[in-house]
Amino acid sequence: MATTTSDVQIDIDAHDEHHHGPDKGLMRWVKTTNHKDIGTLYLWFAFTMLLIGGAMAMVIRAELFQPGLQLVEPQFFNQMTTLHGLIMVFGAIMPAFVGLANWQIPLMIGAPDMALPRMNNWSFWILPFAGAMLLSTLFMEGGGPAFGWTFYAPLSTTFAPDSTDFFIFAIHMLGFSSIMGAINIIATVMNMRAPDMKLMDMPLFVWTWLITAFLLIAAMPVLAGAVTMMLTDRNFGTSFFDAAGGGDPVMFQHIFWFFGHPEVYIMILPAFGVVSQIIPTFARKPLFGYSSMVYATASIALLSFVVWAHHMFLTGMPIAGQMYFMYATIMISVPTGVKVFNWVTTMWRGSMTFETPMLWAVAFVILFTIGGFSGLMLGVAPVDIQYHDTYFVVAHFHYVLVTGALFSIIAAVFYWLPKWCGRMYNEKLAKIHFWWAVISVNVLFFPQHFLGLAGMPRRIPDYSTQFADFNMISSIGGFAFGASFLLLTYIIVNCIRNGEPVKDERVWESARGLEWTVATPAPYHTFNEPPKKAEILNESSHIGAH
Amino acid sequence: MKYIILVFFIFIIYSLGSALYYMMKDGDGSRRMVKALTMRISLSILLFIFVIFAFWMGWIQPTGVT
Amino acid sequence: MQSNNQYFVPHGSYWPIVGSVGMASLLGGFASSLHGNVLGTGLMVLGLVIIIFMVFGWMGQVVLESESGIYNKQVDRSFRMGMGWFIFSEVMFFAAFFGALWYARNLAVPWLGGEGNNFFTGQVLWPDFKAVWPLIQVPDVSKYTVPKGIIHAWEIPAINTLALLTSGATLTWAHWALLNNKRNQIIAGLIATIVLGVIFLALQVAEYGEAYQHLDLKLTSGIYGSTFFMLTGFHGLHVTLGTIMLIVILMRVIRGHFNPENHFGFEGVAWYWHFVDVVWLGLFIFVYWL
Ligand code: HEM
Ligand SMILES: [Cu+2]
Repeated sequence: MATTTSDVQIDIDAHDEHHHGPDKGLMRWVKTTNHKDIGTLYLWFAFTMLLIGGAMAMVIRAELFQPGLQLVEPQFFNQMTTLHGLIMVFGAIMPAFVGLANWQIPLMIGAPDMALPRMNNWSFWILPFAGAMLLSTLFMEGGGPAFGWTFYAPLSTTFAPDSTDFFIFAIHMLGFSSIMGAINIIATVMNMRAPDMKLMDMPLFVWTWLITAFLLIAAMPVLAGAVTMMLTDRNFGTSFFDAAGGGDPVMFQHIFWFFGHPEVYIMILPAFGVVSQIIPTFARKPLFGYSSMVYATASIALLSFVVWAHHMFLTGMPIAGQMYFMYATIMISVPTGVKVFNWVTTMWRGSMTFETPMLWAVAFVILFTIGGFSGLMLGVAPVDIQYHDTYFVVAHFHYVLVTGALFSIIAAVFYWLPKWCGRMYNEKLAKIHFWWAVISVNVLFFPQHFLGLAGMPRRIPDYSTQFADFNMISSIGGFAFGASFLLLTYIIVNCIRNGEPVKDERVWESARGLEWTVATPAPYHTFNEPPKKAEILNESSHIGAH
Repeated sequence: MKYIILVFFIFIIYSLGSALYYMMKDGDGSRRMVKALTMRISLSILLFIFVIFAFWMGWIQPTGVT
Repeated sequence: MQSNNQYFVPHGSYWPIVGSVGMASLLGGFASSLHGNVLGTGLMVLGLVIIIFMVFGWMGQVVLESESGIYNKQVDRSFRMGMGWFIFSEVMFFAAFFGALWYARNLAVPWLGGEGNNFFTGQVLWPDFKAVWPLIQVPDVSKYTVPKGIIHAWEIPAINTLALLTSGATLTWAHWALLNNKRNQIIAGLIATIVLGVIFLALQVAEYGEAYQHLDLKLTSGIYGSTFFMLTGFHGLHVTLGTIMLIVILMRVIRGHFNPENHFGFEGVAWYWHFVDVVWLGLFIFVYWL
């Protein structure tokens, strides 16, 4: 096209850029528009946040090791629970999944890169600033936010420290980053797919992320609205959440959970996708019920917008409301059950082997299901009166988030790391780590079910003595689980630096997927030419026989 | 009255939404987007006229302190 | 040209990190200035300047690239999708505030007045409170200002509605002109749209002045004032942004950018304007009428 405006000088090397690799030095990472670089940045950021959030959890479990106030002030304890939750949700789990999406989606759909590469860089580079702003609240006068990760009004409006305004803006930034990331993912999947790949040819990880991106774009702005109302209630005299002005603190909960419940699915749907990639590989069978998986994911996503008030059964909702939210919530377990059934059926009579990624995936299926069952129990309105705000809820969401979302992230890292860096991790150490983590995590969280059923409230630094034994067990499990991450760090760093080089394109001989057709380690630029139909079908992990 | 206004509104949002869809789907050169937008602005003007008319007929009252 | 078959992937960019620094100083500065930190205000202004610099730098680069022809149809589609889904996120942001309005009017205020199973709520908290909408007499008059009245639909709001609707029509006129390649008509339509947008904003400022000075209707006037100002305020902010974008588009048209085959920038901004216009119609109906 010769329409070039004559004096235009563009500082991009559009013609030879496909041939050269990454820049040198630190600026490579600051300027990068490469989906693999950005994926790496996301994953390291998430890992750092995981360790910081984990350190806070250690403080919490140390304080709860014995009844009585032991180590920290109650106010500080509350800051720890609050920031632990916020950092794990917004700093660790969500960015980790976006990192996986960045690395994998272009590779899995045969695209040269993400659709909007500069914006992709921005989505990431907002995060360190937002994370720093969030953490800085701990060092401010009056301390950091101490109202729990759900920041209910009026605790977060009338009675909150000054640092809350920094927290609010950190949330705004995190939300902005997530929305841009999600827009990019939708545009990539819808527009960058190899022309021969139909929607129903896409690997399930891509499908689940596409649907998650939709959830993000619909839910995050509502959260932004909620914190904006908080901001004006705190500083400009509005009364959204103050009954004295005609508002309602319960309205905060409605708005928050309208975001919050889709948010929990934002954190679990990509996990479903990961597990649906790993299980077929190591069961050496195509994924069972692919299309039902797609429909189940979509229906979970849609339903997730109409069940939010199951977090609010004790707010004095009208009975009709409670009934509706109870039935709607229980309905979600139907598509969730479909998924669990499909994973199990995929493994059924497969020739299974248990390499580390598979171990994590199988642990996911079992332990996530436990979390799903406790969720069902919580969804039953009359009994939630007993369970609400107890350790039973804590046990529930840690089963779905730690042994669910986090386990799937670890599984994904072990599964794809050899492809990313061209080196194999130490299988023996990784297996030791797996068993260490999976045992300790159950020691950590399973007793919390009993504590909750016996009535121990959540978010307290002290408790009555009949809860002492289970708390001690839980804390011991907690320290062991925390320590397992030191080993994980070693395994990963060791793999990247000294791991056994892998040359095979198909790192796992039974794996299917376009990502296994590019060289190992994955070159800086891949799929400048889209793959053709035959290859796409041949590489499908859900059709044909392996 | 409320319902007539609501129905109008739904159609307006529908035409606005379909314009968005055509914008994303069609790319340059298609006229579906501009047609949908023309639809949406015409409907909006009609709705405005209807509101004025309804007020004039005394069917609706603006929000006010009573 | 060979590069046109390839999807254009820029090779590194400094704009995003500039944007992040700007955003962090804008918001961090704002938060500190809320707590009486003078440096915070300075930081905030600096952040705003950086962001404006970033937006123009980044967009300017995109415009140059677009006009130089290295974007193919596929890149164009990515931008279209990006814009579309971004606006969807805006819809959801407004939805939160419309939802708050709905909840306050139909649930919170009636419940405070003792409706449904909330008889004792009314009795125990503020027995004298009467649930009416618009809520003038807030439950606790010592905490919030009591306005003397509200803005009536027949005053500025109706004129503003007329202005915005007309601007939608002139913009559509310009849109048709673009597709039919009538350059002068595009420019005339865009100018008319921009002028109407500015008129709208000026009237909105006048309306706020009236509310604050004569009616005592403020952000602090309880839930009516809160929802009223937040909804119209955020809408006004979007009109401002839309007007700026329209001005940029006008400049580009004058410079000869866009043609019937290549005009995503125009369509994106046009849709944005129509969206802001419909939000106003919603405000006009749900805040001022129903
Ligand atoms: C089978 C599906 C599920 C059902 C029926 C369910 C049900 C519930 C219910 C009723 C509550 C509120 C309990 C209370 O506060 O009294 C709850 C809390 C929670 N759930 Fe689930 N859940 C399900 C799956 C999930 C998943 C997949 C996640 C995340 C990945 C999740 C994360 C959470 C979190 C974080 C909370 C606690 C929120 C807080 O801090 O109060 N849930 N769940
Ligand atoms: Cu929920």
